Amino acid sequence: MEKILNQEKLREWVDMLDDCEVYAPAFADSVWNYARVEAGTDIDLSHTNTIGSVKEFVFPQREVFFRFEKKDGVPVLTATLPDPKPTVVFGVRPCDGRGMPRNDTVFNKEFEDPYYWARRDKLTLVGLACNQPHSPNCFCQSVGGSPHSEDGLDILMTDLGDRFHVKGITVKGVEAMERGRDAFGAVRDGDQAETEKVHDTSRSHPQRPLGNLDAIPEAIRESFDSPLWADMAQHCIGCGICTFLCPTCHCFDINDEVISPTTGEGERVRTWDNCQFPDFTMHTSGHNPRADLGSRLRQRVSHKFLYFVENHKTQQCTGCGRCITECPVGIDIVAVLERVSQS
Amino acid sequence: MTDNIYLPKIGRIVGIDEETQGARAIKTFKVEFPNDDGFEHDCGQCAMLSMFGKGESMISIASSPLVKEYKQFSIMKMGRVTSAFHAAKIGDFIGIRGPYGNQFPLDDWKGRDLVFIGGGVGLAPIWPVIQTAVARREDFGKITVFYGARSSSDIMYETDFEKLKASAEVQLSVDAPEEDWQGYTGFVPANLMDKAPSPDNAIAITCGPPIMIKFVIQNLQALGFADEQIYTTIENKMKCGVGKCGRCNVGKDYVCVKGPVYSWSELRSLPQEY
Repeated sequence: MEKILNQEKLREWVDMLDDCEVYAPAFADSVWNYARVEAGTDIDLSHTNTIGSVKEFVFPQREVFFRFEKKDGVPVLTATLPDPKPTVVFGVRPCDGRGMPRNDTVFNKEFEDPYYWARRDKLTLVGLACNQPHSPNCFCQSVGGSPHSEDGLDILMTDLGDRFHVKGITVKGVEAMERGRDAFGAVRDGDQAETEKVHDTSRSHPQRPLGNLDAIPEAIRESFDSPLWADMAQHCIGCGICTFLCPTCHCFDINDEVISPTTGEGERVRTWDNCQFPDFTMHTSGHNPRADLGSRLRQRVSHKFLYFVENHKTQQCTGCGRCITECPVGIDIVAVLERVSQS
Repeated sequence: MTDNIYLPKIGRIVGIDEETQGARAIKTFKVEFPNDDGFEHDCGQCAMLSMFGKGESMISIASSPLVKEYKQFSIMKMGRVTSAFHAAKIGDFIGIRGPYGNQFPLDDWKGRDLVFIGGGVGLAPIWPVIQTAVARREDFGKITVFYGARSSSDIMYETDFEKLKASAEVQLSVDAPEEDWQGYTGFVPANLMDKAPSPDNAIAITCGPPIMIKFVIQNLQALGFADEQIYTTIENKMKCGVGKCGRCNVGKDYVCVKGPVYSWSELRSLPQEY
């Protein structure tokens, strides 16, 4: 389904999704991030990219798995599976959209994660094609994506200036468009060509080049014992921001939080964790397979560009560039891959 | 297994054996499922054990799959969860998720000699294989069990070792000299070289501290064992047990799913991060 939506009709469409929780980018505290769209507020889709990725809608930073208590001395567990309202997220950039099928693979597979899927099944992603790179660190095209990739999105909107070209990609996307059908107009002569022109232009903007993507896995494999990793990681402070902001990093911790020591009541909680923290792999004995910063940087890069490729035939990186832009010490995954490839 | 992969079953501790004393004490727990919702397991598999309020730890299932009445876990007192286990009493309830991981390919080893090499609490993951092999004694050739502990008071399964001598050659060692010690004095890899088991038609299975495994494998190779004849387990730090949390990731594998059992020929293809 392809439609045209005049810019001023966007709010009208959103209002028709009144049984859904609607989110869209909002600018606050100097960054764009997703915020709940409240009734009567404007939606501004002039955003760059959000600081947080859309993975947060399916894999929140903190999540309770179950509550435990004791009744007559016996533990009683109550699972706290989420039951969210249908959720529609506007303004999802194609790089974040491409992250979702990768996350689906991780949380599905042999052991299906019910917490992830309770949210994922109710989530509709309304993408917005990038008319130009929003950051000097964008490299979506270097990892097989594009500024108007439909991968992982339910709807792709393209900004044509005074109006959006809106394409329903999945059943969920088409349903969301049909619910707002009164807001849409038909695609007229020239709209399609203009959309394609915008896409062509967006692809022609220079991005960070990554060289030969197919050669990277072997280059990483061969450089496993290279001192290069320690050299490139020497400024790393192990803060983990690269993984927390990444649309595909999914590592987590599980801990018990006690609410009442007297009754033994508490919660088992999942929280984001990441491979850049020193104790991430440390055994209880104190043995740590990745005890230094270099081996941890190597793990992050290898997971995305070697191990995930071996397992799933695709990179676990969509080129959003957040890990480069937000790294407090300037560690740059594109530069890292260039050095590894040239070593 | 319940549909919710993170929701444990409830188990009840029905037996506690104090294996060793001291700061790194080991206790063996027998656990039953009061709700009659237990699970079958294979040799080498693990389970996530919970002490509610303290958390979960991945622990090897140390009983043979042939034992259906209970699951056995040998736990060294090391951290928050394992200390809570050591404070537990018979009748206490715990959480169990599992079984997780792959298995030792015992059926593939029919007709072959088996050489087990364990160190410390690392005996626990290979103990079910030893017990199962002994229970199926006619399926295998000579069975030899090497086991090393820091001292004679650190030897686990001491009573069971006495029984084991009826079916297998048992070679015990302690790290440092002791009065009246009848076994070998020195580290496990050295005892292995001293006794020099033949690699002919044999399979070697080892588990222990990473440094011990490293030297045991070197020595097995020196004795002529091929990479395909050597098996070990790598119990990396694990949290979810289901290949998602990323903690036990080694190369393309999540050890909790693809491991913990590896032949050396498989393991050497992975990065040495275990």
